[in-house]
Amino acid sequence: MRGVLTSLANTRSAVVALTVAATVFAIAVWLPNLRLLFAIWTDASVSLGDKLALPISLLSSIATNFTLLSASYTIAIAVLAGVNAALIVRLIQMRGVFGSGAAVGASGIFTGAIGLGCAACGSLILTSLIGTVGGISILALLPLRGGEFGILGVVLLGVSTYLLAKQITKPFVCEPANIKV
Amino acid sequence: MEPQLKQNNLAIPLAIVIAGALIAAAVYFGNAGAGGASALQPQGAEQFTGDLEQMQPITAGDHIRGNPDAPVKIVEYSDTECPFCKAFHATLQEASEEYRDDVAWVYRHFPLDQLHTKARKEAVALECAAELGGNDAFWKYADRWFELTPSNDQTNIETVLPQIAKEIGLDESKFATCLDSKKFDAHIEDNVQNATATGGNGTPWSIVIAPSGKKYPLSGAQPYESVKQLIDLALKDK
Repeated sequence: MRGVLTSLANTRSAVVALTVAATVFAIAVWLPNLRLLFAIWTDASVSLGDKLALPISLLSSIATNFTLLSASYTIAIAVLAGVNAALIVRLIQMRGVFGSGAAVGASGIFTGAIGLGCAACGSLILTSLIGTVGGISILALLPLRGGEFGILGVVLLGVSTYLLAKQITKPFVCEPANIKV
Repeated sequence: MEPQLKQNNLAIPLAIVIAGALIAAAVYFGNAGAGGASALQPQGAEQFTGDLEQMQPITAGDHIRGNPDAPVKIVEYSDTECPFCKAFHATLQEASEEYRDDVAWVYRHFPLDQLHTKARKEAVALECAAELGGNDAFWKYADRWFELTPSNDQTNIETVLPQIAKEIGLDESKFATCLDSKKFDAHIEDNVQNATATGGNGTPWSIVIAPSGKKYPLSGAQPYESVKQLIDLALKDK
């Protein structure tokens, strides 16, 4: 916890955390309607105001298009992804390496992403990946209808945060790479 | 040894970033539709393109709320057991009331059998309401259904389906006979196939059509403000 707080107290890390968290949240909420947003952003006849207003209003779909569970893990994934990114930046600044925690964090984001969407209605990313019928059939077998992926994502990001914070607070000591006893 | 260690440190994140890129590409192509069919899809879905132009034209046989000649049309593919369809039904009711003659709301069926085993029978009930009482009865039935039931297969349809029919003044005996028949099965399946052909992979799935004919896809129970912005955008596109 100390490592996380120390890192976020750094202005650059805090900016990275906020930017990444906001980006992950926006993408998660926009995912079901990327096709609509792409059509509007690339349509020359649509005014700049309309191009901006629609994506902004879609952000509030976290309250209308998500269950309490999926909204909770979507927000948790966004926040943890932001914290992870800030810790990675801090770790690179301090030690010049990513650390194994970064890999766990990245896998957490991707696992969580599979569970994003409307689980009750079959519009998870999972259904986009493996086809509507196949995807919904798999969801039907899962007790939380795919929410499992989101929860797993939060757990992986939590582990990653812990590993990164541990690496940041680790004292600088000389460690031989291979000690043969 | 140190360079090798650094190489290892980079290898895992790099592999995951590549895996992420592959997932993103799969999501993109899945959503965009082109070539989006997978081996898990049923036969006949090979031609799945997710193309909005594959939407079946709106005809007199559709269930239309509001002015059928309205400049903007919203075609909604809905599942009676999906809680988000229930929420979105109220959103479209509000839009219908606010825009009156400017918006026509077209209701089509998209029961997700794997998640909601009762939804297809309820779709039949809606069709029976339309057959016995016309377009008004269809919408009265749909409004009452979404108002009364909690979604996610928690309704006792053996009692609630006839109860709503009775409430809105339909002949109970004829309704029961219609419900047991299979006369609307093909029509409902046709709606389902059309929903997936246009790119629907969950419910509610809607297509907003501008006066120019341009189509905008809208997935999920989006907030009223977003629906309003999309309608306004479509109204400008003459």
